[in-house]
Amino acid sequence: MSALSSARTVSQPSMLSRARAPFEAAIDRARLTVVPHRRVRAPRMPFVTLVSVVLLGGIVGLLCFNTQMQQASFAASTLEERAANLSAREQTLHSELQALRDPQHLAVLAAQAGMVAPQNACTLKLGSAASDGCTPATRGSTPPPFAPPPSKPSVINPRPIKVEVPYTPSEHAAAGQWATRHGDTRRG
Amino acid sequence: MPRLRRTRGQLRGSPQFRLRAGFVLIAMVISVFGARLVQLQGVDPGSYAAMAAAEGTVRAVLPAERGDILDRNGEPLADSVDGLMVVADPKEIDEEDTADIARFLSQRLSVDYIDTLARLRERGSQFEYIARRVPSTLANDVLKEAEDRGIKGLSTRRDPVRIYPAHDVAANVLGFIGTDQPFGGLEEAFDTYLSGQDGEARYEVGGGNRIPLGTNEITKPVDGADLDTTLDRDLQWYTQRVLRSAVVKARGDSGVAIIMDSRTGEILADADYPTYDAANPADYPDTDRGARTISEPYEPGSVEKVLTLSSLIDAGRMTARTRFTVPGQLARQDRVIKDYFEHGTIRLTLAGILAKSSNIGTVLAADRFKTGELRAYLNAFGLGQKTEVGLLSESRGILPDPSMWTSQTEDRIAFGQSLAVTPVQMAAAVNTIANGGVRISPSLIKGTATRDDGAQFGTDVATTRRVVSAHAARQTTLMMERVVDPEDGVAPGAQVAGYRVAGKTGTAQRVSPECGCYDGTFTVSFGGFAPADEPRFTIYVAIQNPRNGGGGGSVAGPVFSQLMNFTLHRYGVAPTGRKPTVLPVEW
Repeated sequence: MSALSSARTVSQPSMLSRARAPFEAAIDRARLTVVPHRRVRAPRMPFVTLVSVVLLGGIVGLLCFNTQMQQASFAASTLEERAANLSAREQTLHSELQALRDPQHLAVLAAQAGMVAPQNACTLKLGSAASDGCTPATRGSTPPPFAPPPSKPSVINPRPIKVEVPYTPSEHAAAGQWATRHGDTRRG
Repeated sequence: MPRLRRTRGQLRGSPQFRLRAGFVLIAMVISVFGARLVQLQGVDPGSYAAMAAAEGTVRAVLPAERGDILDRNGEPLADSVDGLMVVADPKEIDEEDTADIARFLSQRLSVDYIDTLARLRERGSQFEYIARRVPSTLANDVLKEAEDRGIKGLSTRRDPVRIYPAHDVAANVLGFIGTDQPFGGLEEAFDTYLSGQDGEARYEVGGGNRIPLGTNEITKPVDGADLDTTLDRDLQWYTQRVLRSAVVKARGDSGVAIIMDSRTGEILADADYPTYDAANPADYPDTDRGARTISEPYEPGSVEKVLTLSSLIDAGRMTARTRFTVPGQLARQDRVIKDYFEHGTIRLTLAGILAKSSNIGTVLAADRFKTGELRAYLNAFGLGQKTEVGLLSESRGILPDPSMWTSQTEDRIAFGQSLAVTPVQMAAAVNTIANGGVRISPSLIKGTATRDDGAQFGTDVATTRRVVSAHAARQTTLMMERVVDPEDGVAPGAQVAGYRVAGKTGTAQRVSPECGCYDGTFTVSFGGFAPADEPRFTIYVAIQNPRNGGGGGSVAGPVFSQLMNFTLHRYGVAPTGRKPTVLPVEW
């Protein structure tokens, strides 16, 4: 019994201090102290530069884009005008082409070239090498392309007055003389 | 100290008072602003926003292109091209310049000088038409020249032009476009079908250029549909020229000619004389601007005998060889019926009655009809009803009502007087015989098209109806072949070399509108088809009042012959090679 107690008594201060050590450490840790002032060395400029570059680039890009679009708009207006012009010319050519294909126009050209409309259908029998109804065309079956002129009243279109002049032989002819090459005068 | 303060305060007035007055003043001003704000934003914000937007907004009409009218081969009969109208703003033109500008415009644009001068001098107006429907290149050139000369106040707007490249070809059927609306013919009847729907573009402009990213709304225009007709442009031209030449030679008042495809009822040519130039309609009298082929009825005369006799054969009352004894004249009620040629009592078969065109013989044959039978047959042939080809202003002709149908009416109708028909009706009726007894309705339009009143027309909706049996049609055809026979018939001039032709002449008395009686003038006509054994084309020609004394055989027959020759040739129809069978005409 006494050994146990003495043992306890002998090691009490070291045990206490050992038991107290973690608590003290904790208290030490908990005690507020001022954080030592340290200078932060992280660089700031690159970020600022990046942001400003992005911003500037965006604005400038937008401006350029807008300018480009306006320029394109000018170009579009010019091209639209050109397209309208060409379209107008195409329309004019189209109407001219249609006028050339007018059957009346073709008929007039054909008549001027001496063509006539065919008279009969001409049938060729290839097997028997015979033909049927192949008569040459004449003017008879070609209708006149123009209307006849309107009939004028007799006041402005009088019938021609026919005067019959009987043949009276002149004295030169009676004498059997032909007219000279220089006219009918006789030179002495 | 407090006293001093009070004294100073009394000298300078009460700060409380000034403060309050200032507050009240500011409050009044701000409340005025507030009220205005409420008015602008709360009461009617839309209109103010619209007014601001309208400053730079352009509203352009995108015109729809009018559909073309084409012939059966796609050749344009009526075509649309872009055009411009030249307009002037008189406010920008000085009074003293108007004379020079008017002279310049009248020379370049071929407009009336006085009219233009009056328009340029119109005070108070900012918009005056100078020229409408000008080809775009001409308008642009004129404006450029005006700009070079320093003339202000002229501008152009879109104004489509309608051109008729073939001028008077089919003008009676086409109609024409006036300043803004169509008149007559297919242009008027199918106006909605051809017009389409205008579109609109709204966009913002700045400095004359479109602002990108601004408002840009487009309603696309719907172009009008093309109208395909069954007409053949070149054949129509030929028909019109031949008809004109014949009417002028016969010194007639007018003439019509219709060419139909026998099997499909398609009208290949529908010619009228006199007619007009659709590109310059104002130069022609308005009586010439319609289509006589559908709108002017007349008494058909002996061509109608074809219908009477075929009906009799169909009804089983007789055949082509039935024998008749035909007296020199026939007394019926209060009138005496005579033939065009003097004769005693002659013996004709039914074929002879048709070949010699005997009125008395026809009346004797028609006696065998039961009551109402002839009228029913003529109704079935399409007389007394519109043919429904699609044109407006079509006449239905006159077929007397059953209540007005006396025996004398029946006698006269049997040989083609006392009833009125239009040329298209008659052509379709004769075509019934050509088509084996089946009446096919005539069509002017290929496919289908919807008229403005909603009705549909065209070959797709053509109707067929059996009127007489195929046997009756064949018998009638054989009888009609006798008509062009040089010995037995009255119209040897209607023959077509190498082909079998079946036809019938007609010389009908005309009614004068003044006295309501027959005035001694005639309508001569010829209706027929070829080749007779396999009919391909039916042609009907009628000339009003030929003054050269000719009849159907001598005036209309040669026209028929020339047209049929050309048509058979054009469509490559070979002769059938069979000889016509000879029916006896006398016994």
